[in-house]
Amino acid sequence: MIRYWPALMSVLLSVAAIAGYMALLRVPAIRNHPALYLAAFAVAAIIAGAATWRAARWPNFVALGLSVALLILGGYFNFVLAKIPPASTVLRAGEPAPDFTLPDASGAPVSLASFRERTPVVLVFYRGYW
Amino acid sequence: MTELGDQGVQILAISPDPNEKSQELAQKLRARYRFLTDQDLAVTRRYGLLHARGGHKGQDVARPATVVLDRHGTVRWLQLADSIQIRPDPTDVARAVRELPQ
Repeated sequence: MIRYWPALMSVLLSVAAIAGYMALLRVPAIRNHPALYLAAFAVAAIIAGAATWRAARWPNFVALGLSVALLILGGYFNFVLAKIPPASTVLRAGEPAPDFTLPDASGAPVSLASFRERTPVVLVFYRGYW
Repeated sequence: MTELGDQGVQILAISPDPNEKSQELAQKLRARYRFLTDQDLAVTRRYGLLHARGGHKGQDVARPATVVLDRHGTVRWLQLADSIQIRPDPTDVARAVRELPQ
């Protein structure tokens, strides 16, 4: 069993990368650098690849298959699925933001203009939860 | 980003979420956020922040974006995400707010 420690290490690294990313989603430095988990999968694949090259046995193949599959899936998600096409936003630093009126959570109308000359405003557009 | 509320800054969170969903979120976060419902995404579209068919069921959603306006309503800082995984770092937003000309 001891001779399979590189394969084991490779699998553990992949699992730790996924678990770590999930557990630290609330930490902006982790969440906003998804390339970190891809790097971990790549290292796991290199370790498993080297182990397989030295000894073509099933635990090494399993580790290699797992890490390569994760690398491909993760890369596809990160570079293709998660990408947003370029926006043509009308917002420019130094220019006024267009006014709007929208209902708040209780249904009361809120207009951007009502904060003018009163307070700075942070607008956070988010995707929504449905 | 809750600490921003204490600096006398109004945070307006905008999404196509229906009112009851926003209300739920507002209670969960207990922050000085006001959740606005842009149900037909008209404002999001006007701002050029629409991510067409970007939702998980292929529906239109807003592109994650954060905009800091000074008290005159002028855009001073903005961050547009180019990936759905990216969320604004509250530290960056807080810095942008602190650096607003008084």
